[in-house]
Amino acid sequence: MTEVVSENAEVTVLLVDDNPQNLKVLYETLKDKGYRLLIANEGEKALDLALRHQPEVILLDIMMPEMDGYEVCQRLKADPATSDCAVVFLSALDDLQAKVKGFSLGGADYISKPFQSLEVIARVKTHARVIRLERELQARNRELQNDQTRILNSISEGIYGLDERGTIEFANPAAAVIMRCPVESLIGRNFFDTHFSTAAECPAGLPVHATCSQGIAENQRDIRMQRTDETGFPAEYRSTPKHDGDELHGAVVVFRDITIELENERALDEARELVQEQRDQLAHTSRLTTMGEMAAGVAHEVNQPLTAIANYARVSKRMMSIENPNLTLLQETLDKIEAQSHRASEIIRRIRRFVKKPATGKEVLSVSALLEDTRQFAEVDARNNDGAIELIVPADLPDILADPVQVQQVALNLIRNALEATRSAESDSPVEVSARVTADGNVRVEVRDYGIGLAEDAEEKLFLPFYTTKDEGMGIGLPTCRSLIQAQGGEIGFERPGDGGACFFFTLPVAGAAGTTSCPSSDEGAV
Amino acid sequence: MTDIQQTVYVVEDDEAVRDSLELLLKSDGKLVKTYENAAVFLKDYSEKMAGCIVLDIRMPGMDGMELQKKLNEKHSILPIIFVTGHGDVPMAVDAMKEGAVDFIQKPYREEALLEKIEAALEQDLEQRKTLDEKQEIVRRIKSLTPREHEIMDRMIEGQANKVIAIELEISQRTVEIHRSRVMHKMGTHSLAHLVRMVLSVKNLIDAR
Repeated sequence: MTEVVSENAEVTVLLVDDNPQNLKVLYETLKDKGYRLLIANEGEKALDLALRHQPEVILLDIMMPEMDGYEVCQRLKADPATSDCAVVFLSALDDLQAKVKGFSLGGADYISKPFQSLEVIARVKTHARVIRLERELQARNRELQNDQTRILNSISEGIYGLDERGTIEFANPAAAVIMRCPVESLIGRNFFDTHFSTAAECPAGLPVHATCSQGIAENQRDIRMQRTDETGFPAEYRSTPKHDGDELHGAVVVFRDITIELENERALDEARELVQEQRDQLAHTSRLTTMGEMAAGVAHEVNQPLTAIANYARVSKRMMSIENPNLTLLQETLDKIEAQSHRASEIIRRIRRFVKKPATGKEVLSVSALLEDTRQFAEVDARNNDGAIELIVPADLPDILADPVQVQQVALNLIRNALEATRSAESDSPVEVSARVTADGNVRVEVRDYGIGLAEDAEEKLFLPFYTTKDEGMGIGLPTCRSLIQAQGGEIGFERPGDGGACFFFTLPVAGAAGTTSCPSSDEGAV
Repeated sequence: MTDIQQTVYVVEDDEAVRDSLELLLKSDGKLVKTYENAAVFLKDYSEKMAGCIVLDIRMPGMDGMELQKKLNEKHSILPIIFVTGHGDVPMAVDAMKEGAVDFIQKPYREEALLEKIEAALEQDLEQRKTLDEKQEIVRRIKSLTPREHEIMDRMIEGQANKVIAIELEISQRTVEIHRSRVMHKMGTHSLAHLVRMVLSVKNLIDAR
């Protein structure tokens, strides 16, 4: 590669001698060797040419009138633009003193007069190559340094280089922007004293301290950093120890101001909360709507025990108004009153639990208990509408982890839809509610009817909000069901069975899959 | 004939309501028979039943309104008191149009129910009495000979004896004898009463 460099890139050689004869000999020797040759017969001219052309090699005569070779060399080396060239002194003086002086002034070599042309060629070639390589090396270094600076400058995170006591040795422009003061005024300050108000009391617990003093890397979010003007900001930082061999040499700290990030996160959290709230609200509205639709059935259901209670009470009074009342019979009647009042309160309890707001959150639930409860609830409607519900749940079905109110809401919604479809078709077949475990370990609940079936475009529209096929429907039932089931980590959908009707299903995760402790679903009937 | 025992027939699907109502009505001294659904009652029904029906309008299977229709088809005259829920007033109105005597909303006060039951039983009694009377008139009409019947029809149309005698080509005296037999067999002395009696059973006679 060096050969290539020296041959392809043009190398400039400056020949300086006051003796035209010598210049001619040098010129003749070096021409046709691939160099660009420059000639000067005095010091000033040599300096001027050197400055303009930056030759790699200068063959410089020592003994010249006006300005001698030593001075020319001195001045070349003093100017950074020319200091890197290789100065080869030409001297008849074959004495040690002159040579030493030449080297001490920055000379690279010497050639004794009279010249041996082969020697001149060899030495020029060698020095040209050395200079060429040096210049390339420097260019590369500059490039690398530029890259590094560009990177450090363009990084939006602040970067500090600290020594082991926390003194800031380096700061990038982003650090200055974050700290709102110039880079220069950061350098030399103590990182801890500058950025933490409590540094004086106990520096040991501060961020980055362990990295500087013990070489332990750190990464923290949402710490409070202070600026030089004593304003503060929330920051995230990473600190890595700087090692030189085994020795700890402080730390590099990369940090950024996360004020906006935190604000965004807060806004996102708020938005999420709002969505959750609205989903709960919608679910609640939907439950209230369902209750409204079921009101007639519910009133009927509550009126039955109330009517019975009133009748029994009147009968009891009659029994007591006669002489020697039959106390056993009276006791029996009072027991019946009690039983009927329990029956009424059970209905009320079920309604209250259903319209409760907000939902209680996830619990470990027995699917069969939940579906049985839902069936009883739905039967209020079924009795009113002359339908039947058949429950098929295997005894060994695992418990699920879900919100009981919301699962019941979904199940009730699907069952009521199925009852309505059955009625519209004037079918006598009961609605079948079944549950089983799927291949991927979820519990799948199916609500199957033999009713009028689904419209052609059900796939596209069924779960769309405000789409409804019912005269009095609001079209929020199924969309709400879907959002509820998805929130429980399940899926909801439907199928068109070959023998008519419709089959809606939803899945829910089995409890205990992630090590949930098993506890029986809430103490039923203890109210 | 009017002292048949009247019974309150309770048709109600809810066991507690049925049981409590039975106890209540029995404690009030009524004869009570209960049915857990409309079909069972229909199977048990006979024309001889007297009293009234307390009928739940909403029941699984055959509901109250359907039972009412079936009973109407059988010319039942048993008064029906419908027991309705909160939102069932439109249904109750329809039931009334179909001839129900009354309806009562659940939950009801015992006095109100008993009042309605009393009224229904009273109406049943009246209807039964009227029915008995009419049947008596029909029986008497049937006892007339064809000639007597013909003469009675002309009497009711207001024809004088002389006109009847000429048109039937019999003597006026014979007309007078027939006429007195008719009055005797129909158990009246007044032509006005006879007219009223025959008109009151006109539909029953035409139906035959």
